Amino acid sequence: MSSARVKPLPPELVAVPRKHVWHGARAVAEAVRIADVDVIAAYPIRPYTGVMNAIAQMIADGQMMAELIVADSEHTQFEVAKHASTVGARTFVGSSGVGMIFATEAIIVTALAQCPVVALAGCRALDDPGNFGMEWNDVLTYRDYGWMISWPMSPQEALDATIVAFRVSEDPRVLLPTFVAVDGATVTHISGPVLAPDEKRIREGFLPPYKPPYPLDPDFGPVTKAQHVAPSLIGPEQRKCIDVAMKRAYKEVIPEAWKLYNEVAGRDYKPFVESWFMEDAKYALVTMGAYTINAIAAAKRMREKGVKVGVVRSRYMRPFPYIELRQALENVESVGVLDFSFSFGSPYSGGVLYTELKSALYEADVRPLITNFLFLGGREPSVGHFVKAVEIIQKYAELKRVEKNVHWLTLKGEDI
Amino acid sequence: MSEEILFKTIKEIPPVDYYVSGRRTCAGCGPALGYKLVAKAAGPKTILLGPTGCMYVANAHQFLTSPYALPWYHAQLGGGGAAGLGTAAGLRALMTKGKRKKEDINVVVYGGDGGFADIGLAGLSGALTYDYPRLLFVLYDNEAYANTGVQASSTTPWGAYTTFTPWGKIKRIGNDRLKKNVALIAAAHPGIRYVATACVSYPLDLMNKVRKALNAGGPTLIHLLVPCPKGWFFDAKDTVKVGRLAVETGMWALWEYDHGKFRLTVKPAQRKPVKEYMRLQGRFANLADEDIEYVQKLVDQEWKYWEEMDKLGKLILPWAR
Ligand SMILES: Cc1ncc(C[n+]2csc(CCOP(=O)(O)OP(=O)(O)O)c2C)c(N)n1
Ligand code: SF4
Repeated sequence: MSSARVKPLPPELVAVPRKHVWHGARAVAEAVRIADVDVIAAYPIRPYTGVMNAIAQMIADGQMMAELIVADSEHTQFEVAKHASTVGARTFVGSSGVGMIFATEAIIVTALAQCPVVALAGCRALDDPGNFGMEWNDVLTYRDYGWMISWPMSPQEALDATIVAFRVSEDPRVLLPTFVAVDGATVTHISGPVLAPDEKRIREGFLPPYKPPYPLDPDFGPVTKAQHVAPSLIGPEQRKCIDVAMKRAYKEVIPEAWKLYNEVAGRDYKPFVESWFMEDAKYALVTMGAYTINAIAAAKRMREKGVKVGVVRSRYMRPFPYIELRQALENVESVGVLDFSFSFGSPYSGGVLYTELKSALYEADVRPLITNFLFLGGREPSVGHFVKAVEIIQKYAELKRVEKNVHWLTLKGEDI
Repeated sequence: MSEEILFKTIKEIPPVDYYVSGRRTCAGCGPALGYKLVAKAAGPKTILLGPTGCMYVANAHQFLTSPYALPWYHAQLGGGGAAGLGTAAGLRALMTKGKRKKEDINVVVYGGDGGFADIGLAGLSGALTYDYPRLLFVLYDNEAYANTGVQASSTTPWGAYTTFTPWGKIKRIGNDRLKKNVALIAAAHPGIRYVATACVSYPLDLMNKVRKALNAGGPTLIHLLVPCPKGWFFDAKDTVKVGRLAVETGMWALWEYDHGKFRLTVKPAQRKPVKEYMRLQGRFANLADEDIEYVQKLVDQEWKYWEEMDKLGKLILPWAR
């Protein structure tokens, strides 16, 4: 009850949303609540599990309404999400490491059937041997199958990226699923200040309920979907549909969605690529995800010594923002790719981000030197490792050639 | 469960079909006949789901044909349980939240023995622990992976030839494992409301079981024996006859487990010798008389249990050694 002697707060002050201190998994759960998701399927594996723990608690406390399926495996988890999506439900799922790999079949058909499921990938090293450290290869396994992959770097951005993922995925011009890839532990388990957008504004101004064009519903009428395909009739055409959808996501839908989200939620995200100290940079570190912060710290340290280095971060792996990355790097002499992925036996035996970036820059007017720094096996790099990376690319710029394409900087033995 | 949902005679069955022409299955295909009967019994407010198998590949074909006059979606071979679960969960979420009109909608997953007895057994079992009403899993059991060219599954009967269990110069018996009973596994789920076995050669029995299952109030399973002329090596005109013989010889027992009560729904007065069933099919061609005697002994033993269960109205475990 208000007392006559206490003046009510002015409405603009009341409306200021509260900052929370949440770890990434908790922040993503909040996004799922705000997005009014209908069906969620859970199966435990760390480090992603926390998001489902938080969602289950919210449902138990009556803060959100959804069917939560406690699945018997990841394969079931992803199939549940796919099929719930066919009737028009908004669906959320997720996993990490070998869990995700176990669901591979279901993950792939979700994209090829154009079901706009959103999944959290809590990046984790793959077995064998069991390893709780962070690597990107679990989610990068799905680089080539029609999933969009966004790569937020903080709990705050993980929340925002999850909400945006639903809008982009469900856009009728796209209808492709999205992985929100967050670095295991460094985003899932690290707490930070998080500002949750107003749920009403999001639901009314940004994320209307999902309406599939051809729902599986007796009231809609008989549709026969995902039936056996004749390669001679629509084999390539079916794949082309995915290609076109992905291109639309890149050219139109993702930029539009972030622009609108910035307005509705009061943010200022660039859709694809972020840069630090790049105005006059001669050298650049290219990153994705949580370690961007360490890269910025390393760049700052080197700037203090007069080294003109900047940092460029890709916010998406699929669609791969090759145009924006090319623009961001057009004036640098030497690039170092900080990579937590690998492709054994690939050109120069490098990482996936490295190979992708290299191919993106092949068409650049002036091609910079590119060096790959691998942080594999889940061992955490320090700022010192990234400083070392800057020293190496600086040296290569002076030599005007790359002496050694790939460096394993956290390796204890000899890097041969 | 009200009685009027059941058909008393074949004449009461509505003439409308929901699984129609335009399929590419073999002549005499038992699973296709089963599909027709199951869809007919379920009626127009139904979503059909089909895990990979003959009923996927040999039915609808992009741009050419689809025999489904109901909404139909493919599920992965091991995803039948999850597909039913996801579809039912999606519908319930949308209805609870007012995003879709509230209505009774059946979700029927029609999956093979490969799909439900082997690769998808865990998912099926998981789904049976939920509480979604009108969610029916029909395991159409042709006792083989027919679509990939007839390989043994864990429901292939003892002695049967498949391409993975051939007989040869030094091996007389084809498949040397005993048939897994998925209906009993389903019945072992606490709280399960309805489980039944059926056979396409007994259409009224099958359709009434579908009706009971859909009205039981939770996820249910029907294990449906479906003769497959291609995999069993018999003449396509004999599908119904072979199915009848399976039941008449006791090779396949027709029962239901309805809210905790067990009952044989068809009781052969005098069981015919299993030889009559087996000798009609090429897949048992290599078996000697003594092998068929062995099968006869197994069936006779098993039937002591079925009859005892029928008398008690309860499940007891056959084959305990
Ligand atoms: C994960 C996976 N493994 C294997 C296959 C190949 N495959 C396609 S159909 C099929 C047979 C399925 O057998 P069953 O469930 O008994 O159905 P039927 O073909 O007998 O109708 C198999 C093994 C597949 N589609 N997916
Ligand atoms: S192989 Fe058997 S199950 Fe498959 S279509 Fe032919 S008869 Fe039917």
